[in-house]
Amino acid sequence: MFPTILAHGALGAFDEIIFLGVGVVFLVMMGISWLRSRNMKPEFDDPGIPAKVTTTEQQPDRFKLE
Amino acid sequence: MYFIPVLPLSRRWRGRWHRVSLLLASFLLLVCQPIHAHGYIVRSIPEDRAVLERSPVRVQYWFSEDLEPEFSSITVRDQAGNVVATGGVSLDELSLMEARLPTNLPEGAYINELRVAFASDGHVIVESRVFFVGEAVGGVAGLAASDQAVALEVIWRAVVLASLTLLLGVFALYNLVLLPAWGSDTFAAGHLPPRVMNRLNWIVIAALITAFGGNLLALLQQTMVFFGADAGRVLSEGLWQVVRIGTRFGDTWNIRMLLLALVAALHGASLYLRQNQPETVRAFWAANAWVMALCVGTLSVASHAAGSLLMPWVAVLSDWLHVLAVGFWTGGVAALALVLPVALRPYSGETRRLALVAALNRFSLIAAAGVGVVVATGIYSASNWVQSPDDLGTTYGGALAVKLLLVGLLLVVGALHFAALRPKWYARVSSVMERIGGFVPSLRIEALLVLGVLGAAALLSATPVPKPDFESPPAPSATQTAGDYTVATTITPGGTGVNTYDTVVLRDGEPVDGLPVHLRMANPERDLRGDWHVAENIEDGVYVASGTEIDRTGRWLTLIDVGEGEATQRFVFEWEITAEAAVIETRAPTWFNLLALLGMIAAIGYALSPLGRRFYRMLDLSPVSVTVAVGALLVTVVVVVVGIAAAENVAQQYELTVNPPPQIVNEVPPDQESLERGERLLEAECAGWGSGTDWDELIRRLPRLRDEELYAYTQAGWRTLSPCSDALSASERWDVVNFVRAQEAR
Repeated sequence: MFPTILAHGALGAFDEIIFLGVGVVFLVMMGISWLRSRNMKPEFDDPGIPAKVTTTEQQPDRFKLE
Repeated sequence: MYFIPVLPLSRRWRGRWHRVSLLLASFLLLVCQPIHAHGYIVRSIPEDRAVLERSPVRVQYWFSEDLEPEFSSITVRDQAGNVVATGGVSLDELSLMEARLPTNLPEGAYINELRVAFASDGHVIVESRVFFVGEAVGGVAGLAASDQAVALEVIWRAVVLASLTLLLGVFALYNLVLLPAWGSDTFAAGHLPPRVMNRLNWIVIAALITAFGGNLLALLQQTMVFFGADAGRVLSEGLWQVVRIGTRFGDTWNIRMLLLALVAALHGASLYLRQNQPETVRAFWAANAWVMALCVGTLSVASHAAGSLLMPWVAVLSDWLHVLAVGFWTGGVAALALVLPVALRPYSGETRRLALVAALNRFSLIAAAGVGVVVATGIYSASNWVQSPDDLGTTYGGALAVKLLLVGLLLVVGALHFAALRPKWYARVSSVMERIGGFVPSLRIEALLVLGVLGAAALLSATPVPKPDFESPPAPSATQTAGDYTVATTITPGGTGVNTYDTVVLRDGEPVDGLPVHLRMANPERDLRGDWHVAENIEDGVYVASGTEIDRTGRWLTLIDVGEGEATQRFVFEWEITAEAAVIETRAPTWFNLLALLGMIAAIGYALSPLGRRFYRMLDLSPVSVTVAVGALLVTVVVVVVGIAAAENVAQQYELTVNPPPQIVNEVPPDQESLERGERLLEAECAGWGSGTDWDELIRRLPRLRDEELYAYTQAGWRTLSPCSDALSASERWDVVNFVRAQEAR
């Protein structure tokens, strides 16, 4: 049996698998996020894309910083 | 404070709702905090200040979580200060510390000095417990574990917590607030003006350096505590390597450092490629947000949430969500306070306000969700750990008050900012804002308060909470004298689960070594017996064994055979095993726990609702699809419920088939007198018993036969073995059964 590193919860050695599983999921999400952002088309100055938060002119949710 | 959205007038009702939320959150923050407690003793044998009639065989202390065997020890001294025994962590059970004592300790006071290193967070406590043999001795008292935090530990915890929170906050702020609010395709590297990206980069670099430094300090301090050495010795002798490689603290420390190294590498890559491949900068910042979310999880893995007696997985998840939410909220506030002055530098007046509001509109939604999760997970943690209102009057309560004060100030400053951003309210707070010096200085004050709150959180996490009182009955113990021997036996802890069976054999008052001693546990009500244990003779007449036979409460017997063959002397001890005697390993949730859990789920649901709405819009909601989906869900639920019920039913049926409850219960203890009566009765009243092929076969089958079957054989006979005389009473038949059972090979 492999040595226990992180496992000390209710599931015993299965803790290890779950902890590692969570780690793998996050690292995979990191990779996906990197690829997605890397391949994203320019979007910020496209007037065709609506703002995600509805606002008024007094309370805008977009401001093009110079 | 920006978790209250700066809203358009048409959404006034939502503004009111958020103000109510703010008040509620403030109140709840005042009454609950997440706790990273030290472990504590859940069972001790003997109890502190117990007065024992005779010397115990050993002292045992069960803790609420596992210990580091290399750095935990127990020393037992007599009242003159002489060491009478030493011990450590049990090899079979890492949450148990024990020391075996010499037999026949003279009357007096004995002090057990415990040095305990908890595995999950590396906390080391020193405390002592006292027991008396004979009569209590005045003026002797144990020393409770210190409830003071170690200064160096508070420092590294504050540094690590603040730096990790800031790192998570700055990456989240960039991806979720600054980019959507201010992003522009004009700037290829990161989509924000170079002055803003430079400030963000410096924040990341400074936080990374601080995080690495804090972690190194953590390893140094932990090694100093484990070895009781000063910093010079830790460094010169390389003791830190022992802790880094050989402890659970070291394992999580390594993982945290690896993740920080990954963050540093990705950020370094973003800096290196920003000129030639500027489009990758955003990608690296997005990736690092995920790595940091994982990195702060190492704090939860190493917290006492993992050793929680109540649903440890939920406790760890709650702790992780709490730290994540703190990162999004306070880390975001701190990062925003550092970025805004640079970002808004070119602007003034209404333009500056519009730029600011654009960012705050985004951030307020995230921070509001963060505050909700912080409060809900805080309540859950509090419900998990806080046992009594009296706990607030302790050192821990003082540390809690400091944190609450700083949180209160943080909320006040946040409310000031909220009012200052609203034209209709500005007049009311303008004098205060002018006295502070304007918006940017007040932002710095808020950021400093955030640091103060994180420092107070570090103090809290390094301060032991008052441990709850666990009242347990003493370990069952009894003494009998028969023949030449006096036998004293103790079952520790004497509840369901793993127990140690300690037996002391004396002859003429002197311990006897080298005897064959066999021990067996029996449960007459279920007609069940465990295997015979060969008790190991340690020395001083002490024979030890252990087993897991006691699997439920009720009447149990310990059968002890001392000697071999004709000279065997049988002792039978009867115990009433109670649920209270078991070592506490889990705790059932209370209604408050369940309500807090529901609140946590609701807060998470609120935080994730934007994602949920987006997912909902992606769904195909045609009648056919909805019908199929609902039908599939219902079928799945039904199948799962029916499956669980069927599995439980099969398990119950199996138990009843293998161990059916006996129709008649053997009420006669199989002690020496019963065996002798049984032998005489068998010879006189049971023709054909005691020899022959079928007798030998019966003895061979004994491990599989129940007492009620043997009883039936005495009535009806078995093969060529005739029924015993009808004149035998029921108890006499049980004597015969006990004698026959005693012939079973060990």
